[in-house]
Amino acid sequence: MNAKRPSLYSLTSMMVMLTLLLSACGGGVVTATEAPAPEATGTLSVLEWAGYDAEDFWVDFKNAYPDVTVNFEIGISDADIYSKMAAGNQADVFHPYSGWLQFYVDEGLVEEIDTSKLTNWDKVSESHKKLGQINGKQYFIPWDIGFTSILYRTDKIPEGVDSWAALMDPKYAGHISMWDDGPGAVTISSYIHGYDETAITDEQLAAIQEEWIAQRDLNLFYWAGEPELQEGMRSGDVWVAYAWQGSYALLLGEGVPVAYANPKEGRNSWVGFYGIRKGTENLDLALKFLDAKLAEATGNNVVNLFYYGHSNQDVMNSVTDPMLIEAFGLNDPSILEKTNFTPNLTAEQRDAWTSMWAEVKAAP
Amino acid sequence: MTTTPSPSLPHFPEKMGEGDQRSGGGRGWGLDRRATFWMLYLPPLLWLGAFFLIPLLLMFAYSFRPDMRGDFFQLWQPSLNQYEKLVSTGSYWRLLWTSAQMALLISVISVVMSYPIAYFLAFHGRQRVGFYLVLLLVPFWTSYLLRVMAWKMMLGTEGVINSFLLYINIIQEPLTALLYNRNAVVITLIYVWIPFATLPILAALQRIDIALFEAAADLGARPFHQFIRITLPLSLPGVFAAFFMVFIPTVGEYVTPLLVGGSRGSMYGNIIQDFFTKAANWPFGSAMSMIMLAGTLILVAIAARLINLRDLLE
Repeated sequence: MNAKRPSLYSLTSMMVMLTLLLSACGGGVVTATEAPAPEATGTLSVLEWAGYDAEDFWVDFKNAYPDVTVNFEIGISDADIYSKMAAGNQADVFHPYSGWLQFYVDEGLVEEIDTSKLTNWDKVSESHKKLGQINGKQYFIPWDIGFTSILYRTDKIPEGVDSWAALMDPKYAGHISMWDDGPGAVTISSYIHGYDETAITDEQLAAIQEEWIAQRDLNLFYWAGEPELQEGMRSGDVWVAYAWQGSYALLLGEGVPVAYANPKEGRNSWVGFYGIRKGTENLDLALKFLDAKLAEATGNNVVNLFYYGHSNQDVMNSVTDPMLIEAFGLNDPSILEKTNFTPNLTAEQRDAWTSMWAEVKAAP
Repeated sequence: MTTTPSPSLPHFPEKMGEGDQRSGGGRGWGLDRRATFWMLYLPPLLWLGAFFLIPLLLMFAYSFRPDMRGDFFQLWQPSLNQYEKLVSTGSYWRLLWTSAQMALLISVISVVMSYPIAYFLAFHGRQRVGFYLVLLLVPFWTSYLLRVMAWKMMLGTEGVINSFLLYINIIQEPLTALLYNRNAVVITLIYVWIPFATLPILAALQRIDIALFEAAADLGARPFHQFIRITLPLSLPGVFAAFFMVFIPTVGEYVTPLLVGGSRGSMYGNIIQDFFTKAANWPFGSAMSMIMLAGTLILVAIAARLINLRDLLE
């Protein structure tokens, strides 16, 4: 008998401690939801990519609402951000990219945006606004914009690169670096072979898989984060790579002899968006955050610090740095005609293409 | 010790063991043994339950989901889709086998290389053994990622090894075979594991009664024979502990291959990680994890049966 009482005590005290802990955690959420948005205090949580959590990239919001605490959680890929949101992540705002929008809407994870509440909305071009619409409704606001193309070392490849097929050219064996991404690989193969990216057949996907398994022997490493790619380019190990323009501008600025190809199949272009989680109690604050994301100081930082485009046209029109003009292709009025926009993936394509890529990496 | 009670012993445990502890515990804390047991074991049990067992069960459940759609806690119709797909994809099985082979190679080399270190610490460290242990553990003061990154600087085309070989004119062109392949993964992981593998071997060696060596010497055994007949057999539990400590996590390793493995260096763990972070396909990643878990357990069970760990530990 005596034996039971103390253990019951310890169990009870453990439960009390656990309850205390849990209620302490809950307390934070309560203050967040209780905070009335009009006074603009409280907490906003953002599921963001590493780097964009720096204050430079939400400086307008910080200045306008200094009393609001913004918490960032980092996602490492579109898939990561999507699966976190699908699993019930409580972030108020999240940052998906081209291609990865449709399922948020299909699965009811994203709130339609009342653009009348966004004071900077009229500075966004119609074509970019349209990219954030799904089923005719504005679920996402466009924010950062960039190209994907082939980045190459001009000292190692003086003849230049004019096709996406360079990533599979045996001439560059051991000096190629592809992005570690299945949908990205399908996109490139589609450009090279003229497949319709939105309607890849099973046979085409099988051919694409074979093509990338063969490419693997030429590829030095698949890069996951841009710093990894930049280091490879800098050291001279990588001569030719799948790359975003931010890496191009950064390396160019450092004096590394690199060029950004204009492949005959066209560059690829992508847009980053912000969405608001459906059912958030912080809707007003989230809208204010999105509006401030479109403001000029924030946009200028995206352009000047990360060398990406911004959806606010005033920001882009004020770019004068020749290196940036070159990087954005602002001096080439036909560049957009030669550019392929990334279509939205369906859930089936996402699963099939990512599986294809896993099998490429696992192939013996 | 207590497995084979001889007829003369029954009084012993009651007097000195159980009875003694019970009265001692009672006096000091006013708690009996069972309460003390729960006080001590409940926190780690809760911790492991909440952060190990429940996630593992969730993953098990997730592996029977047909796809990612639907809320996390929403009920779904269990499906064997993921396992069917996994069974039909030969490359994943081959990769699991390759990963197990790599893990075997890495654990054997790590243990063989750790043994002399442990031996030195146990028998020749003397008063400085604490200092040497600190030296052994110094690498842990640096982040694991940084240490692996350092290997990139060692093995790269402009790295330390290549620069040195170029400098002394042994090679004219930098060697590209050092980095971004499976060898680089093996080399780096052996380095990472050596300090870990040393500790259980050291613990086993330190338990050996010095008197045994004296007795062996008195009976004319030479140092080599002492090692083969006494030291090695008595240290085997530590050796096997070290082996499994290296083998099991290495089968599922993914960070090191990601950093130094290159295009062809992926291990099974990398593919699991990809399904979670790059493919938004948790059900398939979970199924792959379950297969790896089962595979590793089976291998360990077979090994344990072959080696008969219980005999060794007694």
